[in-house]
Amino acid sequence: MSWSAHGELIEVGERHSTPPGRGCGCGRQSRPYTVARMSLRSAMAHRNLLYLLSLKELRTRYKKSVLGWAWSLFNPLSQMLIFTVIFIYVFKASPPIGDPGGLKNFPLYFLSGLLPFNFFSVSVGVSIGAVQGGAGLIKKVQFPHEHLVFSVIVAQFVTLMIEMIILTAAMLIAGNQVLPWLPLFFIVMVFLGLFSTGVALMLSAANVFYHDVNYLWGILSQILFYATPIIYAPATIELGVLKLLANYGPTGSFITASHNILYDLRVPGIGRLAQLVILGVGTFALGSWVFNRLSPRFAEEM
Amino acid sequence: MAHGIALQVEHLTKSFRLHSEKNNSLKQLIAGKKRNKYEDFVALKDVTFDVLEGEVFGVIGQNGSGKSTLLKCMAGILQPNEGFVKVTKRMSALLELGAGFHPELSGRDNVFLNAAILGMTRRDIASHFDDIVEFSGLESFIDSPVKTYSTGMYVRLAFAVAINVDPQLLIIDEILAVGDVTFQQKCMEKFVDFRNEGRTIVLVTHAMNSVKDMCDRAIWLKHGVITGEGDPAELVEAYTEQMLGDRTRGADGIVRRGSGEIEIERVEMFAGTSEIAVKRFRTSESVRLRLHYKANKPVPKPIFGFSIESLGGATVTSPCTRDVGLLPDRIAGSGYVDVVMDMVPLLPGTYDLHTTVTDFNRQHEYDVLHLALRFDVMTGKPYETGGLISFAPRWSIEGGQ
Repeated sequence: MSWSAHGELIEVGERHSTPPGRGCGCGRQSRPYTVARMSLRSAMAHRNLLYLLSLKELRTRYKKSVLGWAWSLFNPLSQMLIFTVIFIYVFKASPPIGDPGGLKNFPLYFLSGLLPFNFFSVSVGVSIGAVQGGAGLIKKVQFPHEHLVFSVIVAQFVTLMIEMIILTAAMLIAGNQVLPWLPLFFIVMVFLGLFSTGVALMLSAANVFYHDVNYLWGILSQILFYATPIIYAPATIELGVLKLLANYGPTGSFITASHNILYDLRVPGIGRLAQLVILGVGTFALGSWVFNRLSPRFAEEM
Repeated sequence: MAHGIALQVEHLTKSFRLHSEKNNSLKQLIAGKKRNKYEDFVALKDVTFDVLEGEVFGVIGQNGSGKSTLLKCMAGILQPNEGFVKVTKRMSALLELGAGFHPELSGRDNVFLNAAILGMTRRDIASHFDDIVEFSGLESFIDSPVKTYSTGMYVRLAFAVAINVDPQLLIIDEILAVGDVTFQQKCMEKFVDFRNEGRTIVLVTHAMNSVKDMCDRAIWLKHGVITGEGDPAELVEAYTEQMLGDRTRGADGIVRRGSGEIEIERVEMFAGTSEIAVKRFRTSESVRLRLHYKANKPVPKPIFGFSIESLGGATVTSPCTRDVGLLPDRIAGSGYVDVVMDMVPLLPGTYDLHTTVTDFNRQHEYDVLHLALRFDVMTGKPYETGGLISFAPRWSIEGGQ
């Protein structure tokens, strides 16, 4: 039996063309499903590392700022204020009506889409930086690199949950009985988390080789923001392609589901739920596969 | 000690692509692959060796000989192009201390995080935490952020974590010289403990003395190829000889180097009051050395020195004229330097004498004569069975019988 520092079988390099069993799943397996399962297993095996890295993410984020954690709330709130003013006073549009909940409130509609979207886009952006910033560690220590990404996702998920407490309170004040819907929302967010992890794994690995990915993501996430029904409802779009994209594009579908649950107070269609499950699991598997193929070369490239 | 194999390196080959310009943009990827000029640089070529359980194994070689690449391949950080590394023990590779320390977090948090990165479980860390803090000697600072630590404190804490990971196989890169003297002593003790406990250590270093003193076996890497393998003392000897620049080899294995303005022509040794040169004396006898020099041109303020080394490579003594303030303004022509030692407490054995003539700062070497004289010490008084020198101890035992 061979053991690495992480108490796993380690054999570096190839031996008579049998696939090397690097514990952290950094081998050259070709089936995404296997790799994804290995990623999950590795996350479990190193849950201590994952826990401590996530804690580090959370603890160090607002160090040296007076308001600290409050900043994580100010950002979505300020965005909400800006778009509310533009939406209601500039465009004189009327907010969508919750069906069957009956809520008619633009700020709440906006936030119930923005918070999950921010979770996704910030997770991916920070992950790209975390892997790039982990160069010192990657070049000097052998450890499962994917945990740099996992820890960011966990930390962002915790942030989302904190933000959700505020949104829930606001919903209740506005008379929208959102409490019984939170478990379903949570489940959808888990799949959004898997989806975000998959995208983050792919882009953060690619970014090691081509730093353009980082800048590209800055633009792409802005485009996605407007291609996703956050400041508008999909029903208001007239152009068919855009409507389809807003409704069933990857982020669009997750955000529409979030609107369904939190704003409309209804279960999203079974077709949509199935789409989200496949999207989450599939993207995660693909991301793990890409990451595991590329991560053995990180130390050399950085 | 049972000798299983702790680490196996088989036909390891690693090459790097040297880009004329590092090329990390999509534009270049899409626009023109032809501009992507590179050449392959082979850092390791078909390297094969085994490290046995319980062995201290040294890797020596010049800068750029492939030592670091080998180390990173062993640690699983780099993937070899061909061949493989097989680790059969719980391994810890210390390539850099405190990699992953976060300046804003407290020492305590960093200990937990760093240990987790090095592969420890939460329970392991918790049970070793007190040892780590005690070893680092930072009890009163452990809850302050590490950005407030001095470099020495930072390194001490990092080393304390690394050494307490409890590896069966430890791979170390040039990090023995950390912290102050007391801490170095502590580290040394820890290594000796490790060795005595039968753990395996791979030492990659420039410090030839530690290779000679600590290692059981060593390899010598040169341009990515193993050029020597076996007894560390012999290997270090061969390596040092090769590394010395312009050297001339005398008949008896004498090696001379230096700029040559002044040279030691020969060394004579006299025992007691005799005027006949000898190559042997007894423990505690008085000994006189005569270093015959010849200055080819006037040399200002030369410093004469010599050192006595045991066959095992331990330096017993290494005095020079600067130590006693003997500073002639300049020396020209021929002459000799006499050294009188009233009582030489060397224990029986064979010793080598090397001489040096340097400038005042001991930086520039006019002449270094390696193995100027090999001599034997015979049994005299006192006589002891171990060690190199005698302090003439007087013993007594008191208490009830």
